[in-house]
Amino acid sequence: MRIRILVSGLTLLLISFSALSVPTIQHWRSDNGADVYFVPTKGLPIVDVQLVFNAGSAYDAAQNGVAGLTSALLDEGAAGQTAQQIAEQFESVGAQLSTGVSRDFSTLTFRSLSEKKALKRSWAAFKNVLNSPDFPANDFNRVKEQTLLGIKRREESPGTLAQLALYKEIYQEHPYAKPVRGTVESVSALSRDDLSSFYQRYYVAKNLKVILVGGVSRQQAEQMVADLLADLPMGEKAQPIAKVPDVVKGKSIHLEYPSQQTHLMYGTPVVTHNDADYVALSVGNHILGGSGFSSRIVKEIREERGLAYSAYSYFHPMMEKGPFLMGLQTRNEKVVEAATATKQTLLEFIEKGVNEEELIAAKKNISGGFALRLDSNKKLLSNVVSIVASGAPLDYLNTYLSKINEVTLSDIQDAFQRRVLIDKMVMVTVGQKQGGNE
Amino acid sequence: MIKLLSTVLMLNIVYSLSAFASPEILPNIVHEKVLKNGLKVLVKEDRRAPVMVSQIWYKVGASYEHDGVTGLSHVLEHMMFQGTDKLEPGEFSKIIAANGGRENAFTGADYTAYFQTMEASRLEVSLRLEAERMQHLKLQEKEFVKELQVVMEERRMRTEDKPQSQAYEYFKAMAFTSSPYRNPIIGWMQDLEDMKLADLAAWYKQWYAPNNATLVVVGDVQADEVFKLAEHYFSPIPAVDFKPVKQRIEVPQVGLRRGIVKQTAKVPYLLMGYKVPVLNSLENTDDVYALEVLSGILSGGNSARLESNLVRGSQIASSASAGYDMNARLPTLFLFDGVPVDGRSVDELERALLEQIKQLQDKPVAQKELDRIKAQVIAASVYEKDSNFYQGMQLGMLETVGVGWQRSAEYVEKVNAVSAEQLQQVAIKYLIEDHLTVVQMLPKENSHAN
Repeated sequence: MRIRILVSGLTLLLISFSALSVPTIQHWRSDNGADVYFVPTKGLPIVDVQLVFNAGSAYDAAQNGVAGLTSALLDEGAAGQTAQQIAEQFESVGAQLSTGVSRDFSTLTFRSLSEKKALKRSWAAFKNVLNSPDFPANDFNRVKEQTLLGIKRREESPGTLAQLALYKEIYQEHPYAKPVRGTVESVSALSRDDLSSFYQRYYVAKNLKVILVGGVSRQQAEQMVADLLADLPMGEKAQPIAKVPDVVKGKSIHLEYPSQQTHLMYGTPVVTHNDADYVALSVGNHILGGSGFSSRIVKEIREERGLAYSAYSYFHPMMEKGPFLMGLQTRNEKVVEAATATKQTLLEFIEKGVNEEELIAAKKNISGGFALRLDSNKKLLSNVVSIVASGAPLDYLNTYLSKINEVTLSDIQDAFQRRVLIDKMVMVTVGQKQGGNE
Repeated sequence: MIKLLSTVLMLNIVYSLSAFASPEILPNIVHEKVLKNGLKVLVKEDRRAPVMVSQIWYKVGASYEHDGVTGLSHVLEHMMFQGTDKLEPGEFSKIIAANGGRENAFTGADYTAYFQTMEASRLEVSLRLEAERMQHLKLQEKEFVKELQVVMEERRMRTEDKPQSQAYEYFKAMAFTSSPYRNPIIGWMQDLEDMKLADLAAWYKQWYAPNNATLVVVGDVQADEVFKLAEHYFSPIPAVDFKPVKQRIEVPQVGLRRGIVKQTAKVPYLLMGYKVPVLNSLENTDDVYALEVLSGILSGGNSARLESNLVRGSQIASSASAGYDMNARLPTLFLFDGVPVDGRSVDELERALLEQIKQLQDKPVAQKELDRIKAQVIAASVYEKDSNFYQGMQLGMLETVGVGWQRSAEYVEKVNAVSAEQLQQVAIKYLIEDHLTVVQMLPKENSHAN
């Protein structure tokens, strides 16, 4: 199958947005200090909620993996109910709950029908999971073993190994260097108490953002959130994550692995959320490697040379400097050619910038595709989550298109030249060196 | 765990009106028109956002291919972006991008489909371009040589370097004897190496025609307008005379099949599959809906049996799931897969799964369990309305595999009608050892010491 990563897509000049209403994000603060964001929608009897805690693996400190394991245990026993009972409460009304962890955040994602009986039941279960996880010993041991097996399975994936090696090298002593789910050693050492302590410290109202999208009224939304958070301690906001030190110097690292393809990743820390250069960098990246077939890296690697199925670049903004990354995977014997072409493409992009035609095409694609980013409750939720979790202004969506349209050729070149420093780029390859052992 | 059934995961829940959703809130009307040349056009209006998805489905895929030319449908799908009489290679994508669109294509065992998602007024662009490449594809040697390399890279990425995926490929090849489902969708590497441009040209000529395609449009559109545009762009394309597709029904399996696949892996993996019918293969479809619900009882959520009994209860499995694609064109497999926890073997996991099957055969499931699966189906039938793409996909797929899009409306009702007794009966009738294939994937000795 032909998966192609295409990021949004026509210009204000060409289509009328009269039909597109950009949603207004409503905001209030709960009695115990959580920020709540709400977008009412019409047409579907569905409620989507995401809870975002500043409690990602960057807060693991000496216990790498504790954020991940805490999150995984939330719905495995709460308020005296077993994992089975909790699952039955959600599923008997067709509701869904999932938990997730990144380097910055721990999240709970909830979906239910808004029909009264269904919502009442699923909301009660949600409340238990959020407020009263029991971390039962048996379930703790089981999920820990599953996590350890998952860590072992990373060794089956050259792509995963490449990403871990790159993060380790570009973040060194910074908490972002560590794998989100931890290592065999660090997870083996975790105890139930460690999870309880992490939960008590970070799963608190002041450290929480609640995002709610769906077919309920403002009044209903307020009542639901008040009920959900009534028993959650106020606590304290998490301390900011440490600044990312500069990468001393770029380098190339190779890990030998018995695969047919070599996975290549090339990157360095660059952007934070709300970075002043982000709009220019992201429009530039749209042209460099963020728009599938229209992008330069795909043309160079795939369309011209047939070296890879997937080739891409992206900026990943995080609370502290997230990486700019380029990546591909190619048959082992072609890795030198692919690496050279990747470096050359980036170098040329930084030195010469983009041309007028490319910039117009990118703007057309981004602005023309804007409506597609908001065409479902699920996508709306995910957009609002990124806006509020990153601390962007709530009118971000309203001003987005004009910001994109203001970007100039020299903005892009200037931003890339200042921010993407080629001699700080680290290249990791994982695969079989030619002449290497089978 | 690989996604055994990516198509199933997307498609096993088909919509209908539910107890929670009134027709006013969720209009569920599909407009159909068949052009004189045989192109079927389906339109579903959904005005929640000023966008639309346009999908064109061809009745061709890996299960239409014969030995020696596996992977043709998929490589042809790649070549559909590589130029036509009027469009340079890559120009199709460039035009869609300039119109703010997103596009992609996918090939399955039973279909090849192309789609564009765009602001609703751009529908015309999509139809114009699809009509062009339905009849005027320009297959060029230079683009072919390069694209074939790309597909081989895709194969290495998806299969050769993914131990569980490769095990699944061997598993299917062992489970099926005469059914084309034995071949991988992407094709065997040797067949890719042997592929010639002339093979693709013949394949294109054979299958790409209006009377072998369905156009589905979902979104903020008017059915009449869509029909008018479709008529304008597609009606000049002539219909083609098709020879009937060879049936290639799988020969009866007459005993357990068992194999071992050694892989460069860290963790063992188990695959099991029983031969079962599908909607398209039975007159009376009650058994099919019962099998569908049975897969829900085993694997529909965290409260379902495999998670409850094997992951949490006995803690033999680190993960375990069951799956069934009732919308396949040909009889298929009722699948199980799983990874044992560290310290337990795949043999033990296999015995535990067989024990779960025996329980289903010995004792009817509790009403509460059955109700829970039905509640999930009803909720899912509402959730899926949140996605135009998904709604289009259901119509296109059902039509393309031969079931007919109209059947989508029966789904919730048919699932609701399944009884505990029926579940027991289908477990006894179909989940029998003589129709079972088992593959154990084992880590190769001294594989990759890190």
